[in-house]
Order: sequence, then C-alpha cells, then structure tokens
Amino acid sequence: MNKYTDVLIIGAGLSGLMAAAKAAELGKKVTLVAKGMGAVGLSSGCIDLWGYNLEDPNQVCQDPLAEIARLCAVNPQHPYARVQDVLEESLLFFRRVCQENGNPYLDHRGGNWLLPTALGTLRPTYLAPASMAVGDLQQVRGVLVVGFRELKDFYPDVLAANLKKSGVLQADCPLNTLMVCAGGGELTPNTLAHRLENPAVVDRIVDQIKPHLLPGAVLLLPPVLGERWDSQVAKNLAEKLGHPVYEVANIPPALPGQRLQQMLLHHVKGQGVEVVIGCTVNGARVADKRCTEVLATGAGKPIKISAKTVILATGSFLGGGLESKPGKAWESIFRLPVEIGHEKWSARDFLSMAGHLFNQMGIKVNEHLRPVDKTGEVIIENVMVTGANLAGCNHPIEKCGNGVAVASGYKAGKLAGEVGE
Amino acid sequence: METDKVQVVVIGGGATGTGILRDLALRGIPAVLVEQGDLAHGTSSRFHGLLHSGARYAVKDKEAARECIEENMILRRIAPNCVELTGGLFVQLPEDDPQYADRWITACAEAGINCEEIDVQELIKKNPVLSPNVTRAFKVPDCAVDGFRILWGNVNSARRYGARVLTYHRVSAIHQSNGRVTGVELINQLNGQKRSVECEMVINAAGPWGGEVAAMAGLEVNVIKDKGTLVAYNHRLMSMVVNRLRPPGDGDIFVPHGTITILGTTSTTVDNPGCTKPGHNEVLELIKIGQEMVPELESYRLIRAFAGVRPLYQENSAAGGRSVTRNFALLDHRQRDGLAGMVSIVGGKFTTFRLMAEKTVDLVASQLGVNAPCRTAREPLTAPVSEELLERGKKVFGVPGAKKAAERLGDSFAQVVEQAEKNPDKGRIFCECEVVSLAEIEHAAHSGDSFTLGDIRRKTRMGMGTCQGTFCSYRILGALSGYPQFAGNHREYLTKFLQKRWKGMRPVLWGQQLREAQLSTGIYCTLFAMERMR
Repeated sequence: MNKYTDVLIIGAGLSGLMAAAKAAELGKKVTLVAKGMGAVGLSSGCIDLWGYNLEDPNQVCQDPLAEIARLCAVNPQHPYARVQDVLEESLLFFRRVCQENGNPYLDHRGGNWLLPTALGTLRPTYLAPASMAVGDLQQVRGVLVVGFRELKDFYPDVLAANLKKSGVLQADCPLNTLMVCAGGGELTPNTLAHRLENPAVVDRIVDQIKPHLLPGAVLLLPPVLGERWDSQVAKNLAEKLGHPVYEVANIPPALPGQRLQQMLLHHVKGQGVEVVIGCTVNGARVADKRCTEVLATGAGKPIKISAKTVILATGSFLGGGLESKPGKAWESIFRLPVEIGHEKWSARDFLSMAGHLFNQMGIKVNEHLRPVDKTGEVIIENVMVTGANLAGCNHPIEKCGNGVAVASGYKAGKLAGEVGE
Repeated sequence: METDKVQVVVIGGGATGTGILRDLALRGIPAVLVEQGDLAHGTSSRFHGLLHSGARYAVKDKEAARECIEENMILRRIAPNCVELTGGLFVQLPEDDPQYADRWITACAEAGINCEEIDVQELIKKNPVLSPNVTRAFKVPDCAVDGFRILWGNVNSARRYGARVLTYHRVSAIHQSNGRVTGVELINQLNGQKRSVECEMVINAAGPWGGEVAAMAGLEVNVIKDKGTLVAYNHRLMSMVVNRLRPPGDGDIFVPHGTITILGTTSTTVDNPGCTKPGHNEVLELIKIGQEMVPELESYRLIRAFAGVRPLYQENSAAGGRSVTRNFALLDHRQRDGLAGMVSIVGGKFTTFRLMAEKTVDLVASQLGVNAPCRTAREPLTAPVSEELLERGKKVFGVPGAKKAAERLGDSFAQVVEQAEKNPDKGRIFCECEVVSLAEIEHAAHSGDSFTLGDIRRKTRMGMGTCQGTFCSYRILGALSGYPQFAGNHREYLTKFLQKRWKGMRPVLWGQQLREAQLSTGIYCTLFAMERMR
C-alpha cells in the first residue's frame, strides 16, 4: 500500500499528538502512525514544565517560565533552548485543546502546583487536569485519603505517612485514611474507573465516606475517577460529598495520562488526522538529504508513506525510537547518530540527584528541530525530531518531560504547517 | 547484655552453615546459627544454580567429581522440589582440544559419572540456539538447583528439631579461655545491641568470611576470595544445562531455571569477601565467550548481572583462581592450632554442601562425645506437596501461581493456601513476573526473619523477574505497611530495595533492559519525585 501525505508523524505520545493537532489546524493533510499507544498514557497526566530552581535543585521553582529562560541562557544545549520561542504559545494551544474537549488543565497562578503522589511525595507541575489540581496543601484544614479494597496499587496509609513526613501540612491538620469497597473482587485501575462511571456505585462510595468526613477536609483518591477525558465522576463525587475530591499521581496504569492521550487522539481525529496505531516503521529511503519514503508494516502488510515532512516522535529508548547495544546507541528508523559521550550511561545510585546519562541521550537538533551532526550540519532536511528523542534533557530530575513534549511537538507541527506546496 | 547458652554455635547462614545446623539438629545436638545478614545473602544465592554431576571436575579433580555425583543423587532424592531434572550437556567446538574429550570420557567413567555421546545433528535440531559448529556432544546428569529453597529447607527442617537461627547478627568476638573456645559475642546489625552466647564449640562456616572469622579467634585460615560474575537471561534458552567440553574456564556454563537462563562465570581474586559488584567488562567478556556456544546470544534480553565470592581454600597461599582446588577442607583447630572447641569448614562448592556438613558434624559430634549417626542423606528435606493441596492452591492462586508457590514453599505451602482460602484478597498476585501472591508475601513477612524488602525477595522471589521490582516493590511496601518492621520508613526500604536491583541492572543496561530502566526512572523520579523524598 502506498500513502501520500503532507505531514507524517511517527509516534502517538504527547509530542506526536501535539504536532498532529497543530499541523492539522494549519490545514495540512496529516497522517500519524504509531507502533503502540505512546508513553503519555504511562505519565502522571500533568504537564511538568520545570520543577526546581537552577541554583538550588531542592527548592521548588515558583516561576517555571522565567527559570526556563535562565536555563536556556546557561545551557543552550537543552531542548528548551530550541523551542523557547513557542513555549508560551504552545501551552496556550494545549490548554485550548483541552478546554474544547471538556478536560480543562489548570495552572497555579503561573507558578508550580505541588501535588501529592500515591507515595505521599510531592511533585511540582505546571498544568494539572482539574481532577488533580489540589490547591495549597498548607492551607487545608484536613485530609482524608481514600483507597479501594479492589485495587492493589494504592495504599492510603503509605500516602498519609509520607505526606505527613513531607512537612507540607500544618502540624495540627487532621490526616485520616479510609478503605472503601466498590463492589468487591480484584480490579485494575481501568476496570475500577469503568465501574465508577455507574452513579449507583458512586452513591455507595459516598455512603461509605460520609461518616468519616471532618469539616473542611480535602479528599485524596487514586487516579481512577472516571474513564473518559470528559468524565464527571470526580466532580459528581465532590458535589455529593460537599468536599473537594482529587486524584493523585500513581504508577501506571493510571487514568489521567490515559485520558489525556485519548482526548488528544480524539481531537486530532476530529481535525481530520489519519491515525494508524499498530503500525511499525522499519526504515526509510533518504536521497539527497531528504526522506522520500517511509517503510512501515501495519496489520502484517507493508506500507510505503511519502510525506513532505516527517516528524520523529518515537519516544527515546522507552518508546523504541532509540536502540542500543553495549557502547552503542542509534536512532532506529533513520540511523541518526546518538551521542553517547565518554561517561558511564548510568549513575551508581538509582535515585541519583544528577540523574542518568541514558535519559539525556538523544538526537541533536537545530532551532528548526532538524537533526544535525556533530558540526551542526543538517542530516535530513525534511525530518524533525520531538519529545523524548531530543538530546540533553534530564527530564526525570528536572521534571520537564511533558513540557518539552508539548513545546517541541507544537513547534514541529507549526513548522510543518509553514512548509509550502 | 543478653546472654545465651547453647552447645554449638554455627557461624554463617549459607548452604554449608544451614546444612550443618540441620545435621546437628537431626543428631540431637542443640545449636544456634548466627548470620550477619539474611540467610543466603552471600555465595549460596550468587552462583549459577548448577547441581554438578561432577563432569566439570572429572579430569582435574577426581575426588571432587566423585563427591559431586554422589551428592547430586542424594539431593535429587531428599529435595525434589529444589532440583529441576534438566540433565546436562557437554559440547565440544572446533577450537577445543579434541584430545581433552577422550581424557574426559575416561575420567567420567572412573568417577562413576554417566556420560553418553549423542548425535550432534539431533541435538542442534532440538536446541536450535546452540552453535551449528558443535563437533561432539555428551549427556551428563547435571541439574538445575535452587539455592534459596535448599537453604530454607535446611533451616525449616533444623527448626523442627529445635535448632535456632539468628539472622542480622554479626560475630564481633570469639571468647576463649585456657586454650578452649567458651563462646561468641554478637552485634545485632539492625539495632546495634550486643549479645553473647556461651557454647562448647564454634563452627566457622562463614564461606568467604571464613578467614575473618578465624582471625577473631587468633587463627590464620587462608581463604582465597574468588569473585564470579554471572548474567541472567529473560528466556529459557535451552532445555538442559550446557557446559563447554574443555578445561573449566569463564563463560562456559548455561543453566536453565524455570523461565530464565543463567550464564556464568568469571573468576577474579578480590580482597573484600562482600564484594558482589558485577563488573561491566566481565559481563561483556562473559557474553563474548558465551556466544561461541550460543551465537545469537546478543539478541536475547538480559535481566541482570550478579556476582558471588567463591571461598577457595589453599593451605599455602601461592595459587589463585581456577588453579585452586574446588575441594573442601575441614580444619580441626584443636589439632592444627591448639585451640579446642573450634573447627572451620572452608572451600568446597554448593553441590557438596551436605557432605561438607556431614564431615564437619562427624568431627564435632566425636569431640562432644555424641554417637548419633548422620541422617541428612536419608531424611527428606521437605515433604512433597500433595496433588490435592496443589488443586486447592490452583483455585486461589491460579495454575501457574500455585505451581510456582508450591515449588518455592514446599512444607509451608499448606499454610499459605489456607490463608488465601480464608481471605480471597490474599490470593491476589502482587509480583506478576514471578507470580507471588500477597498470602505468600505475608507468610515471609510473618516468618520473624524478614526485616527488609530484600529479605522478603529472597524468600519469595518477588522482584526478581523482568521488571526487577519496579511495580511490585511499591505495591508490597503498601501491603506490608501494617507490619511494625515495615511501617514508617518507606523511603529507606524502597530506596534500598531499588538500589540493590539497580546494582544488577547497571552492567546490562542496553537493549530491552535500558527501556526498563527508563520506565523505572520514569516512575520513581518523574512520577514520584522520590529522589527528593524526605
């Protein structure tokens, strides 16, 4: 099968979907192919922009945009330095798409939210879905952590013990835990979320929680409150209880990331983007520094796709965009070079504050997101690289992965939209 | 300070020490085993899990070979749930000396090891991962053995006869008076409390720490610490143990265990008996040599690397590494050094642990004036799990879960099944990779010997599979938060557990395992911000 398109996006993660949304909005014919569902579904569902101060990496950053501007000055190799021009615009675009689809993302007066996780740690993030956007924990007059007996991945006592240790709550703030039953059996987050879409089940939960509510208490629950991105489960639960209810970030599978992914997929399909999931790109033909054809397999059949622009949103090693052997790493479709440096790929401590080199490995690009070689020469003119594929980003430590994905995906989509006929 | 009194103190909670404890207990000699960490944290869990037929040693060390085949047959009989009857192969490649094969065949016959030449074409057809260049191949009675299960079998059996075990107790002094050992002083490694135990005899079965223990009694025992690195593949690459038919060297043994395969080993002399860091270069070297037997080795997924320290014994210290005998030595310090009441058992290998224990306890019993004969070769280590119990297990844990748990738990399987029957929530599988239920985890947590997530890992195998604990460690911490020893210190417990797993993953961080590492940092750093947790 042969396909022709203006913009071919490879990868259905956050940056690929952003690129698709923007390029489609600019009137391009867009095709998105992906092997799997993309890592945004595994993520917290929040948009982390920049977590901590450059000078003091233990201090939560109060003004991420200003901090990123400083970062770009001191570290011009960081991917943010390639997308700084569109950063704010990309965030506005993202929020508009979310708003239009009934899954509003909220900011915290331009600063960082400090949101509790299932482990009871606190994570700074810039944009959170309404269901996760717990306001200032310092101000709350009580916390009730509610778990489900059916779920084996959420433990109110663990959350409560560590949240207390984090010191964010006032010393006299009551912090209680409760296990409720949503009908019994063993459920995954997805099957529980499905069950909670039934109002009768929510009513039963409300009955179990009500006797334990203290005045002014905020409720923290696992990220299972509703299946779809426009689900009303969290809102209904809060209304019925008369108390604010929030989901906290947890290990995958977790619904907020999946909702974001499903929402963006729904959105781009609505914009006319052709989406082919389960399509593996095996290679490409490149002539005269241009990609003329991408070779893929979908449903067991070979597919050849020609595109004016190809956006490589294949998601680092985790997504399969980068591959490795001892002492070697490369990009899997175009064999673009991946600099490995001379240092060890990983730090001795798993939780090292310096992070691991393998998370920073990736493809070097110029200001147009085109892949470049060591000398800065563009390797393929009509290919752009986005998201976790970009070199120089220590995202697990800096807390900027989804931010870089939003901005670089948006920029690639925008640049692809500017490519003439 | 707490003071205890017992007839014999055994130092070291490895295969040898626990084997000795069981032997003492079966002969009615009151004993306490003291171990500085958890049972099986050292060499006994850090090897390829090969129950030798002895064929590997036949040419160089006939006595060791003969002991191996005898012990191999005994362990199959007394501990069927710990031994996987894979059978073994010796394969010769074109670059191997063909004359060695002939010497080897004769030596095996002399040692009483059955070896049968098989058709190479047939072999390659059945085991397509093997090199098509194999020139000759022989079947031998090698097996795969589970070191953890053997150890726990020893301990459970010894406890039934009244023996005691003190884990996380390090010996800080060995007391003596008038040329006789009178007792040991211990430090609890978890709370720093001291404790002393008066005894008539001390048995030093500390493996690589044997020299250090002897030194506390003012004795010199030369233990050569020989580090061996191994790697675990996430596939059952072959159905049988595969050895290279040439003088023993690095990277020439593959041992299938359940769904994985272990490739080993290397040999490097180290100073520190606790040095279990697998070397990156050693791993690459192992794979390179392993490729000669399995050419496609690079395309298989590695789970982790690990290393153990072999305690080799040489009366005079000139040799090292592979030239030192794999045989064991029993040192009677009364005769050797004029210190009564102390013996050291050094050298040897896992396969012959029971024999080492028997010889040691023969000596100790004679010095204590006890006439009871050794019973460890006849009495089963664990009772087999009945079909009926297994069927009940399948109802609560599912078929694979029940089978695996029955093999792991042996005698304790009945209790765990009962727990899950009483409370179906406990039948839930918490470690999906190794199919470990909450009931089994709680059983390990209840045992009284579990103080860290690592202790539970060793007893249950949770966190040892493909994901290397990324998912189950967090989950299990939550499930155990009601236990006083696990409550309230989540950061420390989780960090320690993840760090131990990381140590094994780091040397094999490429291909699929690098993806796994990105997922793991994605969860614990990106999502949980655990690197900054207070």
